[in-house]
Amino acid sequence: MIRNYIKTAYRSLLKNKGFTILNVLGLSLGLASCLLIILYVVDELSYDRYNTNADRIYRVNEDLKLGENNVLYAVCMPPLAQALKNDFPYVENAVRIKNAGSMHVKKGATNILETKIALADPSLFNVFTLPMINGSPATALAEPNCVVITESISKKYFNRTNVVGETLKLNDSWYKIAGVIRDIPAQSHFNFDFFISMSSYPDSRSTEWLRSDYNTYVLFKDAIDHKKLETALPAFLNKYSGEQMQSELKMSMAAFEKGGSFFRLNLTPLTDIHLKSNRTGELGPNGTVQYVYMFSAIALFILLIACVNFMNLSTARSANRAREVGVRKVLGSSKKYLIAQFLTESILVTLVATIIAFITAIALLPAFNQLSGKEIAINSQTLTWLIPVLLAIVLIVGAMAGSYPAFYLSAFQPIDVLKGKLSAGFKGSGLRGFLVIMQFSISIFLIIGTLVIYNQLNYIQTKNLGYNRNQVLIVQNTFELNNQAKVFKQEIKQLPGVINATLTGFLPTSNWKNTSIFFKDAAFDQKKALFPQTWEVDEDYIKTLDMKMASGRSFSSQMLTDSSGIIINESAAKFLGLKDPLNKPLYRSKGGKQDISNSKEYHVIGVVKDFNFSSLRDVISPVVLVLAHNTGALSIRVNTKNLPALLSQMKEKWKALSPNVQMNFSFMDQDFDASYRTEQRVGKIFIVFTSLAIIIACLGLFGLAAYAAEQRTKEIGIRKILGASVAVIAGLLSFDFIKLVFIAMLISLPAGWFLMNKWLQDFAYRVNIQWWVLALAGFTAILIALITISFQSIKAALSNPVNSLRSE
Amino acid sequence: MIKITDLEKFYRTEEVETIALNKLSIEVKKGEFVAIMGPSGCGKSTLLNILGMLDDPDSGSYVFNGVEVAHFTERKRADLRKHNIGFVFQSFNLIDELTVFENVELPLIYTGVPSAERVKRVEEVLDKMQIMHRRNHYPQQLSGGQQQRVAISRAVVNKPKLILADEPTGNLDSSNGNEVMELLTDLNEQGTTIIMVTHSEHDARYSHRIIRLLDGQTVVENIMI
Repeated sequence: MIRNYIKTAYRSLLKNKGFTILNVLGLSLGLASCLLIILYVVDELSYDRYNTNADRIYRVNEDLKLGENNVLYAVCMPPLAQALKNDFPYVENAVRIKNAGSMHVKKGATNILETKIALADPSLFNVFTLPMINGSPATALAEPNCVVITESISKKYFNRTNVVGETLKLNDSWYKIAGVIRDIPAQSHFNFDFFISMSSYPDSRSTEWLRSDYNTYVLFKDAIDHKKLETALPAFLNKYSGEQMQSELKMSMAAFEKGGSFFRLNLTPLTDIHLKSNRTGELGPNGTVQYVYMFSAIALFILLIACVNFMNLSTARSANRAREVGVRKVLGSSKKYLIAQFLTESILVTLVATIIAFITAIALLPAFNQLSGKEIAINSQTLTWLIPVLLAIVLIVGAMAGSYPAFYLSAFQPIDVLKGKLSAGFKGSGLRGFLVIMQFSISIFLIIGTLVIYNQLNYIQTKNLGYNRNQVLIVQNTFELNNQAKVFKQEIKQLPGVINATLTGFLPTSNWKNTSIFFKDAAFDQKKALFPQTWEVDEDYIKTLDMKMASGRSFSSQMLTDSSGIIINESAAKFLGLKDPLNKPLYRSKGGKQDISNSKEYHVIGVVKDFNFSSLRDVISPVVLVLAHNTGALSIRVNTKNLPALLSQMKEKWKALSPNVQMNFSFMDQDFDASYRTEQRVGKIFIVFTSLAIIIACLGLFGLAAYAAEQRTKEIGIRKILGASVAVIAGLLSFDFIKLVFIAMLISLPAGWFLMNKWLQDFAYRVNIQWWVLALAGFTAILIALITISFQSIKAALSNPVNSLRSE
Repeated sequence: MIKITDLEKFYRTEEVETIALNKLSIEVKKGEFVAIMGPSGCGKSTLLNILGMLDDPDSGSYVFNGVEVAHFTERKRADLRKHNIGFVFQSFNLIDELTVFENVELPLIYTGVPSAERVKRVEEVLDKMQIMHRRNHYPQQLSGGQQQRVAISRAVVNKPKLILADEPTGNLDSSNGNEVMELLTDLNEQGTTIIMVTHSEHDARYSHRIIRLLDGQTVVENIMI
């Protein structure tokens, strides 16, 4: 029996080549897109799961509220990890990791700037699963001045992996290689190449409980223990931090909290960090769970559209299959057999489509990786879950897509069919209309989504950020020059083509951040404390970055009093409630007891217009600029057509001052773009898959239009004989479909407007969805549908009426 | 073998009710060859469909082989049909996607005959109908006469007690038509009961008895000698 099903299915598919190609093409295109998105989503969801203890590892976070300022930290106090181990028997282990930034790694003549360097406690290898291929995990990070490197780094510097005992110079210190680990999987929320033993860093022995700068992870004996720790944390924190607060701030934790401020610890499961955590002090850029949801929805949409195609084309074709059904029924086939037959047929088509989709997905994976910035590979491990998923897809999609035609066709009364009563299979089905409406609703929604995302990205690109990021070259490692940095700046400023230069690491596009506590009067009222970004800059900062002053003036080297001068941004002025902030005092707390003896007094010399320095998702927060010597980076505003020449001159100047270290530079506009790479990628992925969804929907519409025209051949013939023009007939045939697209518009335009507005809410600075976005989406859908349909309609309208009547 | 009494069948549209069969009573004995004739719309095809259990009557009785089947469920009708009745249509109704062999094999598949037995029986029938050399061809590759021979092969392969033929020669030229009528006569002589709807007086002469219908009622019965 099954052989007979497959045989009939195979021959029927072969006989209707056009239909089969449309169906298989649409379905495989849909499935391939779906597969790629599934791979992307699975990759996003698999972060940190390579750790065998993933379910027992949690990160300790700190939430700080000081006055009106609220900061969420991914980092904690230096002594926290050890104290947790000491105090709670169910904490099996704890480890601190500290991002060490970039360092020059030297071996012989090689000198390379490495950026993935961290400090870590010896317990790193007890908590995380980082297999060591050379060296002993138990002792590797126990001694000071030891470093553990990854396999690729080992090969990069030594061409081999048995390098334990060798040495590398990181910046100016020598480190002994104590272990080589396998490269950390890409699906890890931290990705370092070097782990320096924590004991090499004296600050790690700090006993301060009032500052936070160490990422701290705990491994519980039992996954359930995290609840116990969460309840115990307030008392624990009070015991340690409270004591120091009392001795240094002369204030108890209770009094601190009474003032509306707080200082709390909480836990994030390791596997939630990548998608759900976006705190200050993360060890690397994380993903966004929102995008995972968004892409999953798109995958589902595409699959739905492809299935709907299948259902629609199969049922539209049903009139042609009706006779076969009738004959089979007369010959004794029961409904059950017929359903089985049609399901077999659709599962067979799905199987073929899935195989094509799988091959297509593999072929497109490199391009997709480039688009998404991922390194997804299909290996034997992927196949262990992918093959069952594919089989499930074949069965589910096959059954879903085939069920309607199967039940629809098998319910035919043989007598009606054989009498030819069932030739007009087309117009009858309301369900088919509903399915077309659904397809186009989804397509129009995706068009709106794409337009809005692109508008927002464009807005980000062109928004006046409050500074000018174009034509600014940044030398990233002027700190290497130490005291010579200022000399370098002066020499650079002399070069032709250089307009200005400013020496500081604190830039709107850099990750340098520093906050401190300010009070606007000597009362030191905690509730009114200002907790601004506090950036150390020089007198050329405002001019070089082309920032605008709202009032007052910039720093000046002529004014000796400017060392106690301060420039605040408009947000800070607003926060402080100062109408005329100029010359008003501001007291900067030096830590310890908060009173006048423990603070430095500044006076406001200027208010700079607000400028964006973090994501446009965030509202601009208060910033204060103080005059200080910071050698973090040198930003140079240039105006030259011959940049390469200028660059080589700069390199010469650099070499004269620091012959052994290379000058690293970047461009400010590129740094800015990099911070929106995720959004840009999402935009591109969105546009690609939206186009695919529309193409698939059109394939279906194309097929349906062909069948509609075929079904109405006789009607068209009669109308033509009675004098209807080609245009009238083409219009008649097209109208049936355009009507459906209009209904789809009515559904999807408001829905799209609502949902995309919701997405935009995430941006503090955003576009409004203009009426033309909706109009354009609707118009595009109508246009695409019209082009698709008119091909068939015109073809039918042009045919000779005599032929069409004869065929009846 | 067949006895219908006071059979009625109506066709209703929103405003009009048409009587297709009007208290019709007919009896057909085992081994008979009966032709049903009458003008278009007299109820011939309706009668044939009810006899073939493709349709059910609105009222009246239909006893097939001593069993009242007038109000059987579709499943029961299908079951009875596939074991007892073979159909021959004017337009052959072969499945285009299946070869001659596979078309003939189909009723055997639905009655659950094992594969080896199926091959034997299909070959036997094709041989008898002299169409064996065409076993691997598709219907479109055959002439009308050949297609109808395949259709008859398919109708008889399950050894039905009754064959219902709906204008079996309607789409054929006269020589092919005569061949088909000879085949039916042979089958009848071997014991199969045949009921045939036809417009052709020539074909009707092959039967034992002609039932003439008008407006859903029997107007006259001719016994052929």
